[in-house]
Amino acid sequence: MTKRKFLMSFTPSIVNEPITFRMVKDFDLMLNILRAGVDERGGKLVIEIEGKPSQIKKGVGYLESSGVEVKELNEYVSKDEDRCTSCGACISICPAEAFEMLKETYKVEFHKDRCIACGLCIDVCSPNAMKLEIW
Amino acid sequence: MTAEEVIDLVESRGAKEAAKEVDVVTTGTFGAMCSSGAFLNFGHSEPPIKMQKVWLNGVPAYTGVAAVDAYIGATELKEEDNMHYGGAHVIEDLISGEVLSLKATSYGTDCYPRREIETSITLDMMNQAYLFNPRNAYQNYAVATNSTDRILFTYMGKLLPNYGNATFSSAGQLSPLMNDPKCRTIGIGTRIFLGGGVGYVSWEGTQFSTTAPVKNGVPTRPSRSIAVIGDLKKMSTEYIRALTLHGYGISLAVGLGVPIPILDEEMMESVAIRDEDIFAPVFDYSVQSRSRKVLTEVSYAELRSGHIELFGKDVKTSSLSSYYKARQIANELKKSIEKGTFLLSEPVQALPSEKSSKPLEIRSKEGVKI
Ligand code: SF4
Ligand code: SF4
Repeated sequence: MTKRKFLMSFTPSIVNEPITFRMVKDFDLMLNILRAGVDERGGKLVIEIEGKPSQIKKGVGYLESSGVEVKELNEYVSKDEDRCTSCGACISICPAEAFEMLKETYKVEFHKDRCIACGLCIDVCSPNAMKLEIW
Repeated sequence: MTAEEVIDLVESRGAKEAAKEVDVVTTGTFGAMCSSGAFLNFGHSEPPIKMQKVWLNGVPAYTGVAAVDAYIGATELKEEDNMHYGGAHVIEDLISGEVLSLKATSYGTDCYPRREIETSITLDMMNQAYLFNPRNAYQNYAVATNSTDRILFTYMGKLLPNYGNATFSSAGQLSPLMNDPKCRTIGIGTRIFLGGGVGYVSWEGTQFSTTAPVKNGVPTRPSRSIAVIGDLKKMSTEYIRALTLHGYGISLAVGLGVPIPILDEEMMESVAIRDEDIFAPVFDYSVQSRSRKVLTEVSYAELRSGHIELFGKDVKTSSLSSYYKARQIANELKKSIEKGTFLLSEPVQALPSEKSSKPLEIRSKEGVKI
Protein backbone atom coordinates (compact mmCIF):
# COMPACT_ATOMS: atom_id res chain seq x y z
CA MET A 1 0.00 0.00 0.00
CA THR A 2 1.27 3.44 -0.83
CA LYS A 3 -0.06 6.92 -0.31
CA ARG A 4 0.14 9.63 -2.91
CA LYS A 5 -1.29 13.11 -3.02
CA PHE A 6 -2.91 14.63 -6.07
CA LEU A 7 -4.54 17.85 -7.08
CA MET A 8 -7.53 17.22 -9.32
CA SER A 9 -9.13 19.92 -11.40
CA PHE A 10 -12.37 19.36 -13.24
CA THR A 11 -14.53 21.42 -15.55
CA PRO A 12 -18.21 22.19 -14.77
CA SER A 13 -19.35 19.48 -17.17
CA ILE A 14 -17.98 16.68 -15.06
CA VAL A 15 -18.61 18.12 -11.63
CA ASN A 16 -21.62 15.86 -11.34
CA GLU A 17 -19.77 12.61 -12.03
CA PRO A 18 -19.57 10.43 -8.92
CA ILE A 19 -15.81 10.30 -9.24
CA THR A 20 -14.82 9.65 -5.69
CA PHE A 21 -17.43 6.96 -5.34
CA ARG A 22 -16.08 5.07 -8.35
CA MET A 23 -12.50 5.47 -7.18
CA VAL A 24 -13.37 3.71 -3.94
CA LYS A 25 -15.68 1.09 -5.38
CA ASP A 26 -14.00 0.15 -8.64
CA PHE A 27 -10.37 0.53 -7.69
CA ASP A 28 -10.41 -0.34 -4.01
CA LEU A 29 -8.74 2.89 -3.01
CA MET A 30 -8.95 4.86 0.20
CA LEU A 31 -9.49 8.54 -0.35
CA ASN A 32 -8.78 11.33 2.02
CA ILE A 33 -10.01 14.69 0.80
CA LEU A 34 -7.63 17.31 2.06
CA ARG A 35 -9.17 20.33 0.43
CA ALA A 36 -12.00 20.99 -2.00
CA GLY A 37 -13.52 23.94 -3.76
CA VAL A 38 -16.01 24.48 -6.59
CA ASP A 39 -16.72 27.65 -8.52
CA GLU A 40 -18.02 28.63 -11.96
CA ARG A 41 -14.80 27.45 -13.61
CA GLY A 42 -15.14 23.98 -12.16
CA GLY A 43 -13.78 22.27 -9.10
CA LYS A 44 -10.49 21.54 -7.40
CA LEU A 45 -9.81 18.71 -5.06
CA VAL A 46 -6.67 17.89 -3.14
CA ILE A 47 -6.83 14.27 -2.32
CA GLU A 48 -4.66 11.64 -0.75
CA ILE A 49 -5.05 8.27 -2.37
CA GLU A 50 -4.03 5.13 -0.58
CA GLY A 51 -3.95 1.73 -2.17
CA LYS A 52 -1.88 -0.68 -4.22
CA PRO A 53 0.44 1.21 -6.58
CA SER A 54 -1.11 -0.55 -9.58
CA GLN A 55 -4.62 0.37 -8.46
CA ILE A 56 -3.64 4.02 -7.91
CA LYS A 57 -2.31 4.07 -11.43
CA LYS A 58 -5.54 2.62 -12.80
CA GLY A 59 -7.63 5.01 -10.72
CA VAL A 60 -5.69 8.01 -11.95
CA GLY A 61 -6.04 6.67 -15.49
CA TYR A 62 -9.79 6.48 -15.03
CA LEU A 63 -9.87 10.08 -13.74
CA GLU A 64 -7.90 11.32 -16.68
CA SER A 65 -10.07 9.44 -19.15
CA SER A 66 -13.14 11.05 -17.67
CA GLY A 67 -11.67 14.49 -18.34
CA VAL A 68 -10.22 15.31 -14.91
CA GLU A 69 -6.87 17.02 -14.88
CA VAL A 70 -4.72 15.22 -12.32
CA LYS A 71 -1.49 16.61 -10.97
CA GLU A 72 0.66 14.96 -8.39
CA LEU A 73 1.63 17.22 -5.53
CA ASN A 74 5.23 17.20 -6.68
CA GLU A 75 4.07 20.12 -8.78
CA TYR A 76 4.56 22.00 -5.56
CA VAL A 77 8.22 21.22 -5.36
CA SER A 78 10.08 23.93 -7.19
CA LYS A 79 13.61 24.96 -7.97
CA ASP A 80 14.57 28.61 -7.92
CA GLU A 81 16.83 28.82 -10.95
CA ASP A 82 18.48 32.03 -9.76
CA ARG A 83 19.52 30.56 -6.45
CA CYS A 84 20.56 27.17 -7.83
CA THR A 85 24.31 27.09 -8.33
CA SER A 86 24.23 23.72 -10.11
CA CYS A 87 26.43 22.25 -7.41
CA GLY A 88 24.78 18.85 -7.60
CA ALA A 89 24.44 18.15 -3.88
CA CYS A 90 20.83 17.11 -4.46
CA ILE A 91 21.70 14.48 -7.04
CA SER A 92 22.84 11.66 -4.79
CA ILE A 93 20.08 12.34 -2.26
CA CYS A 94 16.96 12.27 -4.41
CA PRO A 95 15.41 8.78 -4.30
CA ALA A 96 13.45 9.50 -7.48
CA GLU A 97 16.47 10.60 -9.50
CA ALA A 98 14.68 13.83 -10.32
CA PHE A 99 17.91 15.75 -10.72
CA GLU A 100 20.20 15.40 -13.67
CA MET A 101 23.61 16.90 -14.24
CA LEU A 102 23.52 17.77 -17.94
CA LYS A 103 26.55 16.29 -19.66
CA GLU A 104 27.50 19.23 -21.86
CA THR A 105 26.88 22.21 -19.62
CA TYR A 106 27.14 20.75 -16.11
CA LYS A 107 23.91 22.53 -15.30
CA VAL A 108 21.65 20.70 -12.88
CA GLU A 109 18.19 20.13 -14.27
CA PHE A 110 15.17 19.35 -12.13
CA HIS A 111 12.74 16.88 -13.69
CA LYS A 112 9.55 17.71 -11.88
CA ASP A 113 7.73 14.76 -13.38
CA ARG A 114 10.00 12.31 -11.58
CA CYS A 115 9.69 14.03 -8.20
CA ILE A 116 7.63 12.26 -5.54
CA ALA A 117 7.58 15.24 -3.18
CA CYS A 118 9.47 13.40 -0.45
CA GLY A 119 11.16 16.62 0.66
CA LEU A 120 14.64 15.10 1.09
CA CYS A 121 16.33 17.62 -1.18
CA ILE A 122 14.99 20.64 0.68
CA ASP A 123 17.57 20.75 3.46
CA VAL A 124 20.32 19.35 1.25
CA CYS A 125 20.23 22.35 -1.03
CA SER A 126 22.53 24.76 0.76
CA PRO A 127 21.77 27.88 -1.31
CA ASN A 128 18.07 27.23 -0.48
CA ALA A 129 16.95 26.89 -4.07
CA MET A 130 14.54 23.99 -3.47
CA LYS A 131 11.11 24.76 -2.05
CA LEU A 132 8.24 22.51 -1.05
CA GLU A 133 5.06 24.55 -0.90
CA ILE A 134 1.80 22.70 -0.78
CA TRP A 135 -0.36 25.77 -0.32
CA MET B 1 42.07 29.34 -23.01
CA THR B 2 40.54 27.80 -19.94
CA ALA B 3 42.20 24.93 -18.10
CA GLU B 4 39.52 22.70 -19.54
CA GLU B 5 39.86 23.80 -23.16
CA VAL B 6 43.60 23.44 -23.09
CA ILE B 7 43.44 19.71 -22.34
CA ASP B 8 42.56 18.75 -25.91
CA LEU B 9 45.10 21.13 -27.39
CA VAL B 10 47.94 19.62 -25.39
CA GLU B 11 46.72 16.15 -26.19
CA SER B 12 46.73 16.78 -29.94
CA ARG B 13 49.78 19.03 -30.30
CA GLY B 14 51.87 18.20 -27.28
CA ALA B 15 52.87 20.55 -24.47
CA LYS B 16 55.80 22.08 -26.28
CA GLU B 17 53.80 23.28 -29.28
CA ALA B 18 50.83 24.30 -27.14
CA ALA B 19 53.10 26.40 -24.89
CA LYS B 20 54.11 28.45 -27.92
CA GLU B 21 50.51 29.18 -28.82
CA VAL B 22 48.94 29.89 -25.44
CA ASP B 23 50.08 32.65 -23.07
CA VAL B 24 47.59 32.34 -20.27
CA VAL B 25 45.28 29.62 -19.00
CA THR B 26 42.37 30.51 -16.76
CA THR B 27 41.01 28.45 -13.89
CA GLY B 28 37.96 28.69 -11.65
CA THR B 29 36.26 27.24 -8.63
CA PHE B 30 32.99 27.90 -6.84
CA GLY B 31 32.37 26.15 -3.57
CA ALA B 32 31.78 26.44 0.15
CA MET B 33 34.73 28.23 1.72
CA CYS B 34 34.02 28.53 5.43
CA SER B 35 37.23 30.40 6.04
CA SER B 36 35.88 33.66 4.64
CA GLY B 37 34.73 36.98 6.01
CA ALA B 38 34.77 40.71 5.50
CA PHE B 39 36.41 43.69 7.16
CA LEU B 40 34.00 46.61 7.43
CA ASN B 41 34.42 50.21 8.46
CA PHE B 42 31.16 51.91 9.42
CA GLY B 43 32.33 55.51 9.89
CA HIS B 44 31.90 57.54 13.09
CA SER B 45 28.60 58.49 14.68
CA GLU B 46 27.80 61.71 16.53
CA PRO B 47 28.78 61.53 19.34
CA PRO B 48 31.21 58.76 18.47
CA ILE B 49 31.25 55.25 19.88
CA LYS B 50 34.07 52.77 20.40
CA MET B 51 32.16 49.69 19.35
CA GLN B 52 32.79 46.84 21.75
CA LYS B 53 30.10 44.54 20.47
CA VAL B 54 28.46 44.84 17.11
CA TRP B 55 25.63 43.03 15.29
CA LEU B 56 24.59 43.19 11.65
CA ASN B 57 21.04 41.91 11.16
CA GLY B 58 21.50 40.21 14.52
CA VAL B 59 24.74 38.45 13.55
CA PRO B 60 27.69 39.31 15.83
CA ALA B 61 30.82 40.66 14.15
CA TYR B 62 34.25 40.83 15.77
CA THR B 63 35.15 44.34 16.75
CA GLY B 64 38.17 43.89 18.98
CA VAL B 65 40.02 46.15 16.57
CA ALA B 66 39.70 49.93 16.21
CA ALA B 67 36.55 51.86 17.20
CA VAL B 68 34.39 51.36 14.12
CA ASP B 69 36.14 48.50 12.33
CA ALA B 70 34.69 45.02 12.44
CA TYR B 71 35.20 41.62 10.88
CA ILE B 72 32.14 39.61 9.99
CA GLY B 73 32.95 35.92 9.68
CA ALA B 74 30.98 33.88 7.16
CA THR B 75 30.12 31.11 9.62
CA GLU B 76 29.02 33.37 12.47
CA LEU B 77 25.41 32.58 13.43
CA LYS B 78 22.60 34.96 14.12
CA GLU B 79 21.82 34.79 17.83
CA GLU B 80 18.76 32.71 18.75
CA ASP B 81 18.02 31.75 15.17
CA ASN B 82 18.91 28.06 14.97
CA MET B 83 21.29 28.23 12.03
CA HIS B 84 19.13 29.85 9.38
CA TYR B 85 20.97 33.11 8.98
CA GLY B 86 24.59 34.02 9.51
CA GLY B 87 27.60 36.05 8.49
CA ALA B 88 27.50 34.66 4.96
CA HIS B 89 23.95 35.95 4.55
CA VAL B 90 25.02 39.35 5.85
CA ILE B 91 27.75 39.42 3.20
CA GLU B 92 25.38 38.33 0.43
CA ASP B 93 22.73 40.85 1.53
CA LEU B 94 25.31 43.63 1.58
CA ILE B 95 26.39 42.80 -1.97
CA SER B 96 22.81 42.73 -3.20
CA GLY B 97 22.35 46.27 -1.88
CA GLU B 98 19.99 45.51 0.97
CA VAL B 99 19.56 47.73 4.01
CA LEU B 100 20.93 46.03 7.12
CA SER B 101 20.37 46.83 10.77
CA LEU B 102 23.52 47.79 12.63
CA LYS B 103 23.61 47.65 16.39
CA ALA B 104 26.58 48.27 18.67
CA THR B 105 27.22 48.62 22.38
CA SER B 106 30.14 50.00 24.33
CA TYR B 107 31.34 51.02 27.79
CA GLY B 108 31.91 54.66 26.85
CA THR B 109 35.18 56.54 27.17
CA ASP B 110 36.14 60.19 27.39
CA CYS B 111 36.83 60.28 23.68
CA TYR B 112 34.01 57.89 22.68
CA PRO B 113 31.12 58.78 25.00
CA ARG B 114 28.28 56.94 23.23
CA ARG B 115 27.31 53.63 24.79
CA GLU B 116 24.98 52.23 22.18
CA ILE B 117 23.79 52.78 18.67
CA GLU B 118 21.07 51.34 16.47
CA THR B 119 20.96 52.35 12.85
CA SER B 120 20.55 51.12 9.28
CA ILE B 121 23.34 50.74 6.78
CA THR B 122 24.08 49.59 3.22
CA LEU B 123 27.31 48.55 1.58
CA ASP B 124 27.54 51.90 -0.24
CA MET B 125 27.43 53.79 3.04
CA MET B 126 30.46 52.00 4.46
CA ASN B 127 33.92 53.45 4.03
CA GLN B 128 35.62 50.17 3.32
CA ALA B 129 34.26 46.68 2.93
CA TYR B 130 36.57 43.97 1.72
CA LEU B 131 36.55 40.24 1.83
CA PHE B 132 39.55 38.88 3.61
CA ASN B 133 39.48 35.11 3.47
CA PRO B 134 42.21 33.29 5.39
CA ARG B 135 41.84 30.00 3.53
CA ASN B 136 40.31 29.63 0.08
CA ALA B 137 40.76 27.54 -3.05
CA TYR B 138 42.03 24.44 -1.27
CA GLN B 139 44.27 22.35 -3.45
CA ASN B 140 42.32 19.12 -3.56
CA TYR B 141 39.89 18.00 -0.91
CA ALA B 142 38.34 14.97 0.71
CA VAL B 143 35.49 12.73 -0.40
CA ALA B 144 33.02 12.10 2.40
CA THR B 145 30.92 9.03 3.08
CA ASN B 146 29.17 7.45 6.04
CA SER B 147 29.44 3.86 7.29
CA THR B 148 26.88 4.12 10.10
CA ASP B 149 23.16 3.45 9.99
CA ARG B 150 22.14 7.02 10.68
CA ILE B 151 22.17 10.16 8.54
CA LEU B 152 25.10 12.49 9.20
CA PHE B 153 24.94 16.23 8.69
CA THR B 154 28.44 17.51 7.99
CA TYR B 155 30.23 20.35 6.29
CA MET B 156 30.37 17.89 3.41
CA GLY B 157 26.57 17.86 3.27
CA LYS B 158 24.03 15.20 4.13
CA LEU B 159 25.60 11.75 4.22
CA LEU B 160 23.15 8.89 3.87
CA PRO B 161 23.53 5.75 6.01
CA ASN B 162 25.50 2.66 4.95
CA TYR B 163 27.59 4.38 2.32
CA GLY B 164 24.36 5.69 0.76
CA ASN B 165 26.21 8.47 -1.00
CA ALA B 166 29.55 10.23 -1.21
CA THR B 167 30.19 13.94 -1.55
CA PHE B 168 33.19 15.82 -2.88
CA SER B 169 34.15 19.42 -3.32
CA SER B 170 36.73 20.46 -5.84
CA ALA B 171 36.63 21.80 -9.36
CA GLY B 172 39.28 19.18 -10.21
CA GLN B 173 40.84 19.95 -13.57
CA LEU B 174 39.55 23.56 -13.41
CA SER B 175 40.64 24.19 -9.83
CA PRO B 176 43.27 26.96 -9.57
CA LEU B 177 45.87 25.24 -7.39
CA MET B 178 45.54 21.91 -9.18
CA ASN B 179 46.70 23.60 -12.36
CA ASP B 180 49.75 25.19 -10.78
CA PRO B 181 50.39 22.47 -8.21
CA LYS B 182 53.71 23.80 -6.94
CA CYS B 183 52.55 27.43 -7.01
CA ARG B 184 55.20 28.47 -9.49
CA THR B 185 53.10 31.40 -10.70
CA ILE B 186 50.68 31.91 -7.83
CA GLY B 187 52.15 33.91 -4.97
CA ILE B 188 51.58 36.95 -2.79
CA GLY B 189 50.27 39.77 -4.95
CA THR B 190 48.85 37.61 -7.73
CA ARG B 191 45.77 39.33 -9.14
CA ILE B 192 42.77 37.01 -9.22
CA PHE B 193 39.05 36.88 -9.95
CA LEU B 194 37.26 37.03 -6.61
CA GLY B 195 33.51 36.98 -6.18
CA GLY B 196 32.90 38.68 -9.49
CA GLY B 197 35.43 41.44 -8.86
CA VAL B 198 39.18 41.68 -8.69
CA GLY B 199 41.12 40.32 -5.75
CA TYR B 200 44.65 39.47 -4.73
CA VAL B 201 46.46 36.62 -3.10
CA SER B 202 47.49 38.17 0.19
CA TRP B 203 49.28 35.33 1.95
CA GLU B 204 49.62 31.58 2.10
CA GLY B 205 46.30 30.11 3.22
CA THR B 206 46.01 28.78 6.76
CA GLN B 207 46.88 25.08 7.07
CA PHE B 208 49.03 25.44 3.94
CA SER B 209 50.84 22.18 3.48
CA THR B 210 53.16 20.71 0.90
CA THR B 211 53.68 17.27 2.40
CA ALA B 212 50.87 15.26 0.77
CA PRO B 213 51.62 12.33 -1.50
CA VAL B 214 51.68 13.36 -5.14
CA LYS B 215 50.19 11.47 -8.09
CA ASN B 216 50.52 12.71 -11.68
CA GLY B 217 52.04 15.92 -10.36
CA VAL B 218 49.19 16.89 -8.04
CA PRO B 219 48.73 16.20 -4.33
CA THR B 220 46.16 13.57 -3.43
CA ARG B 221 45.15 15.24 -0.14
CA PRO B 222 44.07 18.74 0.91
CA SER B 223 47.34 20.64 0.55
CA ARG B 224 48.06 24.22 -0.38
CA SER B 225 45.56 27.04 -0.05
CA ILE B 226 45.59 30.81 -0.42
CA ALA B 227 44.49 33.78 1.68
CA VAL B 228 42.74 36.29 -0.53
CA ILE B 229 41.50 39.83 -0.37
CA GLY B 230 39.12 41.82 -2.57
CA ASP B 231 36.71 44.75 -2.61
CA LEU B 232 33.24 43.62 -1.57
CA LYS B 233 31.75 46.65 -3.28
CA LYS B 234 32.75 45.25 -6.67
CA MET B 235 31.43 41.74 -6.10
CA SER B 236 28.24 40.09 -7.30
CA THR B 237 25.85 37.62 -5.71
CA GLU B 238 26.33 35.56 -8.85
CA TYR B 239 29.71 34.56 -7.40
CA ILE B 240 29.19 35.02 -3.65
CA ARG B 241 26.39 32.97 -2.20
CA ALA B 242 25.34 32.26 1.38
CA LEU B 243 24.89 28.58 2.15
CA THR B 244 22.96 26.83 4.89
CA LEU B 245 24.44 23.43 5.58
CA HIS B 246 21.61 21.77 7.43
CA GLY B 247 22.64 20.49 10.84
CA TYR B 248 26.12 21.91 10.47
CA GLY B 249 25.94 25.66 10.07
CA ILE B 250 26.44 28.51 7.65
CA SER B 251 29.09 28.84 4.99
CA LEU B 252 29.89 31.05 2.06
CA ALA B 253 30.21 29.88 -1.52
CA VAL B 254 33.01 31.88 -3.08
CA GLY B 255 33.76 32.11 -6.77
CA LEU B 256 37.48 32.36 -7.38
CA GLY B 257 39.58 32.20 -10.52
CA VAL B 258 43.30 32.46 -11.11
CA PRO B 259 45.04 33.15 -14.42
CA ILE B 260 48.12 31.04 -14.97
CA PRO B 261 50.81 32.39 -17.28
CA ILE B 262 52.40 29.67 -19.37
CA LEU B 263 56.04 30.15 -18.54
CA ASP B 264 57.31 27.02 -20.22
CA GLU B 265 56.52 23.53 -21.37
CA GLU B 266 56.36 22.21 -17.81
CA MET B 267 53.73 24.80 -16.91
CA MET B 268 51.74 23.77 -19.96
CA GLU B 269 51.85 20.17 -18.83
CA SER B 270 50.55 21.15 -15.40
CA VAL B 271 47.56 23.08 -16.69
CA ALA B 272 46.62 20.22 -19.00
CA ILE B 273 45.87 17.99 -16.01
CA ARG B 274 42.63 16.02 -16.44
CA ASP B 275 40.02 14.82 -13.95
CA GLU B 276 41.08 11.25 -14.79
CA ASP B 277 44.51 11.93 -13.33
CA ILE B 278 43.54 13.77 -10.15
CA PHE B 279 42.79 11.60 -7.14
CA ALA B 280 41.03 12.36 -3.86
CA PRO B 281 40.90 10.31 -0.65
CA VAL B 282 37.60 8.87 0.56
CA PHE B 283 36.99 9.22 4.31
CA ASP B 284 34.33 7.83 6.59
CA TYR B 285 32.94 10.98 8.23
CA SER B 286 31.33 8.98 11.02
CA VAL B 287 34.81 8.60 12.50
CA GLN B 288 34.97 11.59 14.82
CA SER B 289 38.69 12.05 14.71
CA ARG B 290 41.12 14.30 12.92
CA SER B 291 43.04 11.30 11.64
CA ARG B 292 40.55 9.29 9.67
CA LYS B 293 41.76 6.38 7.62
CA VAL B 294 41.76 6.75 3.88
CA LEU B 295 39.26 4.14 2.62
CA THR B 296 40.39 4.41 -0.97
CA GLU B 297 41.37 6.95 -3.58
CA VAL B 298 39.12 7.86 -6.49
CA SER B 299 39.61 10.12 -9.48
CA TYR B 300 37.56 13.22 -10.16
CA ALA B 301 36.45 11.67 -13.43
CA GLU B 302 34.87 8.82 -11.46
CA LEU B 303 33.39 11.23 -8.92
CA ARG B 304 31.90 13.36 -11.65
CA SER B 305 30.36 10.34 -13.38
CA GLY B 306 27.80 10.19 -10.58
CA HIS B 307 28.93 6.87 -9.11
CA ILE B 308 31.94 5.37 -7.44
CA GLU B 309 32.55 1.86 -6.27
CA LEU B 310 33.11 1.38 -2.55
CA PHE B 311 33.60 -2.12 -1.10
CA GLY B 312 31.96 -3.56 -4.19
CA LYS B 313 28.94 -1.30 -3.73
CA ASP B 314 27.80 1.26 -6.23
CA VAL B 315 27.68 4.58 -4.38
CA LYS B 316 26.06 7.71 -5.78
CA THR B 317 28.19 10.84 -5.71
CA SER B 318 27.35 14.51 -5.38
CA SER B 319 29.51 17.53 -5.80
CA LEU B 320 29.18 20.36 -3.31
CA SER B 321 31.04 22.84 -5.42
CA SER B 322 29.63 23.86 -8.76
CA TYR B 323 31.53 22.84 -11.86
CA TYR B 324 29.05 24.87 -13.88
CA LYS B 325 30.04 28.03 -12.03
CA ALA B 326 33.74 27.12 -12.06
CA ARG B 327 33.53 27.03 -15.82
CA GLN B 328 31.65 30.30 -15.93
CA ILE B 329 34.41 31.91 -13.85
CA ALA B 330 37.24 30.53 -16.00
CA ASN B 331 35.41 31.80 -19.10
CA GLU B 332 34.71 35.20 -17.66
CA LEU B 333 38.31 35.60 -16.60
CA LYS B 334 39.43 34.54 -20.06
CA LYS B 335 37.21 37.17 -21.68
CA SER B 336 38.41 39.96 -19.37
CA ILE B 337 42.03 39.08 -20.13
CA GLU B 338 41.33 39.10 -23.87
CA LYS B 339 39.58 42.46 -23.60
CA GLY B 340 42.46 43.85 -21.56
CA THR B 341 40.26 44.70 -18.57
CA PHE B 342 42.06 42.20 -16.37
CA LEU B 343 45.82 42.47 -16.21
CA LEU B 344 48.06 39.72 -14.96
CA SER B 345 50.43 40.52 -12.14
CA GLU B 346 53.62 38.83 -11.11
CA PRO B 347 53.78 37.71 -7.50
CA VAL B 348 55.94 39.85 -5.23
CA GLN B 349 56.76 36.89 -3.04
CA ALA B 350 56.47 33.15 -3.58
CA LEU B 351 54.40 30.96 -1.29
CA PRO B 352 56.35 28.51 0.89
CA SER B 353 57.87 25.65 -1.04
CA GLU B 354 57.94 23.42 2.00
CA LYS B 355 55.56 23.54 4.88
CA SER B 356 53.55 21.12 6.97
CA SER B 357 50.33 21.65 8.84
CA LYS B 358 50.49 20.96 12.57
CA PRO B 359 47.78 19.44 14.75
CA LEU B 360 46.77 20.84 18.13
CA GLU B 361 47.63 18.73 21.17
CA ILE B 362 46.22 19.16 24.63
CA ARG B 363 49.24 19.91 26.80
CA SER B 364 50.17 21.53 30.08
CA LYS B 365 52.52 24.48 30.19
CA GLU B 366 55.22 22.23 31.62
CA GLY B 367 54.59 19.67 28.89
CA VAL B 368 55.74 22.08 26.19
CA LYS B 369 59.30 21.30 25.15
CA ILE B 370 61.09 24.36 23.96
S1 SF4 C 1 21.52 21.25 -4.32
FE1 SF4 C 1 20.33 23.09 -4.78
S2 SF4 C 1 21.82 24.51 -5.66
FE2 SF4 C 1 22.75 22.48 -5.74
S3 SF4 C 1 22.19 21.72 -7.77
FE3 SF4 C 1 20.64 20.96 -6.35
S4 SF4 C 1 19.01 22.50 -6.49
FE4 SF4 C 1 20.84 23.45 -7.36
S1 SF4 D 1 11.23 16.25 -3.10
FE1 SF4 D 1 12.17 14.20 -3.02
S2 SF4 D 1 11.68 13.29 -4.98
FE2 SF4 D 1 11.29 15.47 -5.21
S3 SF4 D 1 13.19 16.27 -6.03
FE3 SF4 D 1 13.32 16.48 -3.82
S4 SF4 D 1 14.38 14.63 -3.16
FE4 SF4 D 1 13.68 14.24 -5.24
